[in-house]
Amino acid sequence: MKILEFLKDKENLIAFDNSTTINRADVSIKNNSLTFKKGNEFFVFLDNYDAYNELEFNFHSQQKIKLFIIVYQNKSIKMDYSFNLDDSVELEVFTNFVSRRKTNNISNFIYNLKENSSLKLLNAITFNGNLDLNCTVNLDGEKSEATIDLLNIGGFSNKHKVRQDVNHQSKYTESYINNWLISLDNSVLDYSVSGFIEKGKEFSKCFQSNKGIMLSDSSQIAVEPKLYIDEYNVEAGHGAAIGQIDELQLYYLLSRGLSETEAKSLIISGYTLPFIDKISDEDIRRHVTSQSSRLIRRKA
Amino acid sequence: MTLEIKDLFVSIENNLILNGLNLKVNGGETHAIMGPNGTGKSTLAQVCMGHPSYKVESGDILLDGESILDKSVDERSRLGIFLAMQNPIEVPGVTNFDFIKAAIQTRMKKDEHLRIGRFILKFEKASQDLKMGQGLAHRFLNQGFSGGEKKRNEILQMKMLNPAFAFLDEIDSGLDVDALKLVGQNVTELKSQDLGLILITHYQRLLDYITPDYVHIMINGKIVKTGNLELIKRIDQEGYDWVKKELGIEDEDKKPYSLGTCPSKH
Ligand SMILES: Nc1ncnc2c1ncn2[C@@H]1O[C@H](COP(=O)(O)OP(=O)(O)O)[C@@H](O)[C@H]1O
Ligand SMILES: [Mg+2]
Repeated sequence: MKILEFLKDKENLIAFDNSTTINRADVSIKNNSLTFKKGNEFFVFLDNYDAYNELEFNFHSQQKIKLFIIVYQNKSIKMDYSFNLDDSVELEVFTNFVSRRKTNNISNFIYNLKENSSLKLLNAITFNGNLDLNCTVNLDGEKSEATIDLLNIGGFSNKHKVRQDVNHQSKYTESYINNWLISLDNSVLDYSVSGFIEKGKEFSKCFQSNKGIMLSDSSQIAVEPKLYIDEYNVEAGHGAAIGQIDELQLYYLLSRGLSETEAKSLIISGYTLPFIDKISDEDIRRHVTSQSSRLIRRKA
Repeated sequence: MTLEIKDLFVSIENNLILNGLNLKVNGGETHAIMGPNGTGKSTLAQVCMGHPSYKVESGDILLDGESILDKSVDERSRLGIFLAMQNPIEVPGVTNFDFIKAAIQTRMKKDEHLRIGRFILKFEKASQDLKMGQGLAHRFLNQGFSGGEKKRNEILQMKMLNPAFAFLDEIDSGLDVDALKLVGQNVTELKSQDLGLILITHYQRLLDYITPDYVHIMINGKIVKTGNLELIKRIDQEGYDWVKKELGIEDEDKKPYSLGTCPSKH
């Protein structure tokens, strides 16, 4: 197994490939099921791992955990993941897919939350290849809440198809989705973002915001925001702002002598900053920054 | 160096704004351009910078005798043209430091590289000179700046970039007396044989701090009268009506934008 450089020295590292498992953390692993014991920060590295069974992450009551998941692949991969949060869990999950050559990735993530649990998801998508990502959040318990922040930079002629579903299945549940989408070259970002609030699940809140910049004439971003709400006593809303790079900002930087490439890459980096600032681990933050600036600088 | 604007006709969205404008600025000279609102002063500055919305119908802009009309905005900047904008733009997520560093690096030759220590000192000095307060380097470009801070930040950039020709477009608006004095001092310090200054204003008060060599009056998209400091005094006292009367200029287009937006004495 070849662990990526920036993860090599991490304590609490758990790494899988199809034949071996490395477990430097206090986590029990049985039949593809991980149960977290002591510790609050873990790094999970998957090297071309495509188990037939889903990979299951279990968190028990009151745990407060940060999980950084890095998937590395140089062949096409299909994987299912599930995360089960007992009551009053505070979980933060970072995910990122890395591939050095163009491959396909199909991933299904399911998060199940019991009462009073909170989930913070940070998805950094800079994947070189076609991606089919499904992310389902089930707010099963009362007062459970999820915040999803997602940065997607599509380059080359990659197609990234992403589906985010949040199911509000109890009262007082809250969800907030913020997507920052950047399409370069001929890439296509195709998003379906849905919030479901069933009848009787009152006092729930469901919000989403989708922002996007298309950098070339052949770049594409499509977002289909949906709110299915069958309950009167809730708060919900969505905002979308998808367009070209801000002309005035570009002109201002050009007027100080920056080339178009430099100016665009500064503006786009600035645009990604609110997302990148949310990444608490410095190595991971640097990894995402370098991945995104490599994409942006190449073809701003 | 010389910047020469020759018989320039410029339109925006099919409206002719500049109507055969002529102006010649040599290095070392300071020109003031005054005129009522909506007369095309900002248009002149923007078109020299290369703003993509303005269309040059005919005429030319020459830098040392060579046309710059086919040059892009960034090329013009690197050739030495600078515009302190009437409304500086906010760029979230981009720090002042990264921005100015990139602007300076883009002016360096291939084999040169930035002496970062020296750059930081120069930046901090300029920042102090303009009383920008600590931490400017790490604030996002103009984001959340007060009107006055934005204007002072334009002058800071001018200081850092050493242009050959600088248009200061209503640099005085939004500044209180102290800030105006500060900006005036900073700009005056920058005066040299290598800098041609074009001050666009409707107030005399800016010109109390930066003394112009020439004063031009611009009406309906062209310069109709050129004089010296005496001209400013008269405009300050009497407005522009006497110029119009003297030259037989009709107010054919009283558009709403020209109403009430300018607190100068008419
Ligand atoms: N971006 C624009 N779109 C349409 N009209 C414009 C634009 N900018 C300026 N104009 C028009 O051009 C004329 C001159 O404007 P401007 O150059 O800003 O005048 P000044 O700076 O002298 O007040 C005005 O009639 C104004 O409405
Ligand atoms: Mg103006």
